[in-house]
Amino acid sequence: MGSRFLAGAFVCLVCCSLWLATPGFGEDQRGGEPDARAILQAAIDHWRGTSSYAEVTMIIHRPEWERRMAMRAWTRGEDHSLVRVMAPPRDGGSGTLLIDKDMWSFAPNINRVVKVPSSMMAQSWMGSDFSNQDIARADDILDHYEHRLLQTETTENGLVYYIEAIPHEMAPVVWGRQVVQVREDHLVLQEDYYDQDDRLVKRLVTHDIATMDDRAVARVQRMSKLEEPGEWTEVRIDAIDFGVELEDRVFTLSNLRNPRQ
Amino acid sequence: MELLRSTGQYSRRILVTLAWRYLWRNYRRTIIMLLAITIGVWAMIFMIALLRGMVDDMVQSSLESFLGHVQIHHPSYRDDPSIVNHLPTPGSELREYLDRAGLDWTARLRVPAVVSSERESLGVTLMGVKPDREVRLSKLPRQISNGRFLESPDDPGIVIGEKLARRLETGLGKRIVVMSQDPDNDIADRGFRIVGIYFAELPAMEEQFVFVGLNVAQQMLRVGESVSEIEVQGPDFREVDWFYQAIARLKPDLDVSPWYERDTYLGTMLRLMDGVVLVWIIVIFLALSFGLVNTLVMAVFERVREIGLILALGMRPSAIMGQVLLETLMLLALGLALGNALALATIIPLADGIDLSVVSEGLAMMGAGSTLYPALYWQDLLLSNGLVIALGLLAGLAPAHRASRYNPVEALTKT
Repeated sequence: MGSRFLAGAFVCLVCCSLWLATPGFGEDQRGGEPDARAILQAAIDHWRGTSSYAEVTMIIHRPEWERRMAMRAWTRGEDHSLVRVMAPPRDGGSGTLLIDKDMWSFAPNINRVVKVPSSMMAQSWMGSDFSNQDIARADDILDHYEHRLLQTETTENGLVYYIEAIPHEMAPVVWGRQVVQVREDHLVLQEDYYDQDDRLVKRLVTHDIATMDDRAVARVQRMSKLEEPGEWTEVRIDAIDFGVELEDRVFTLSNLRNPRQ
Repeated sequence: MELLRSTGQYSRRILVTLAWRYLWRNYRRTIIMLLAITIGVWAMIFMIALLRGMVDDMVQSSLESFLGHVQIHHPSYRDDPSIVNHLPTPGSELREYLDRAGLDWTARLRVPAVVSSERESLGVTLMGVKPDREVRLSKLPRQISNGRFLESPDDPGIVIGEKLARRLETGLGKRIVVMSQDPDNDIADRGFRIVGIYFAELPAMEEQFVFVGLNVAQQMLRVGESVSEIEVQGPDFREVDWFYQAIARLKPDLDVSPWYERDTYLGTMLRLMDGVVLVWIIVIFLALSFGLVNTLVMAVFERVREIGLILALGMRPSAIMGQVLLETLMLLALGLALGNALALATIIPLADGIDLSVVSEGLAMMGAGSTLYPALYWQDLLLSNGLVIALGLLAGLAPAHRASRYNPVEALTKT
């Protein structure tokens, strides 16, 4: 589900939080027991058609330094998103445009729009702990994995589903398995990435859930690498509007280069 | 008198006898000179065989590293080795020619790609191969240190190098993801399970090449039945022009190139070797020639009075000259015979190779293996022997000429 994290990267951080926003999702026809895949399917279907505008802070933390970037993100449906860096000034103006699985990035210092080639998909996105691939892949979660409901846990804020996703043999996924914790109110609480020796490598945790624009949103999410303590990337949603009207021209290469909003 | 004056068979036999006896008159000097020639000739031939062996090994090893004897590509492939510049698998016409000419061939997809594990991702060259043919033509598929090589073009597994496996922190039986681009520039990716790990002399190679089945690669990269290159190997890498030209005529619209053109460094080096051999022979000969000329000058100087006597008796000056040259020739021939014998005696027992593992790392950087196989070519033998005799006679010409020019009266009275 690393890929769903695109759905993950902010853009989708935002989205993640919305993910399972349909009440009663995924009830298996056979009754009672919810089907893991259906839960994810319902979540993605729900996400389809939602548009948003968000102001986001990304904090890249390393033992020796820390860096904050202010960003704006526009999303429309699950396959159109645009992220633009506003601060610090050094990075201001650079941005990323995603349409379906294609990804372009713009760097103002070289004044060029570059389509991110496959050779760079595994590299870090803007120096963070997310890879370009994390950002660009949306719906792989359904096609490339076998899903299983591990357990359900009752907490004071509602039922939490533990869904295990194991990639198919030929899937372009490096993980051995991933475990996602989804709360009954459709928020992703935690996502664990295990390697093929079943050691935990990366973990995405939702630290704060808040109601913004009348919806429950995972306001603070942190991706950390467990093998390198002290290295993490945190994404905070400072403000978000849902249901905004976004024209086609928002998601174009020329808008990526020359912002007009 | 009549005997010496005659130019017939008899007198020639006397010249030979005289030359032979003079040679052994001061046997110590002759033996020392013989030793010098023997060792010089041995060094010549032995070193040439070693050099040839080393260069042959380097060339062979490069040819077996996906160079082949002749390669066929899309005309733009050499400028831009991307998936866009592909060509169809060998058609029946080409295959028929290759079979008829007894040439081995393989076809492969060769594209830049990125492999990722949980912790690392690295750029590599993805090779989609026909395993049975690849094993015959290339050496990496034969150097499996763990697991197995691919079994068929449909094998779903992947074979990577030891160094790459270490850097990816992965291993046999684990899955890795290969990412590349299809001809439309869209991302093409797929997970593969590692079924084999190979080793190479050069760690850089272990990091560069990953092997998957050809059909699997074609499917992943969405190129149908196409390949990036066709490699042809003949019986001898020195003789490739005959089939290179035939294939080029057969496929005028494709880029057909022989190995020495694809790897000009290698081709130049092989040509350069001929020059090195010649220079080496001449250098050794120069060192020898000082001793040789000195020996002959002394031999002539010692017998001025005898030469004067023979001249007075009526022998022609040309016969004197011939006699000294004959002496030179005998000395050289003996030295060459001994030198050649010694060289053969050292090279033949080393035919199984000389173990150079002590310095293997340095050799590997040059692209040579850690075992050195001396290679003795009859051309080199002929060249060194011929040159030594020709130049030796040339060196003997000066003392011989001098001996023939003596005035009999002066020579006789010389004390």
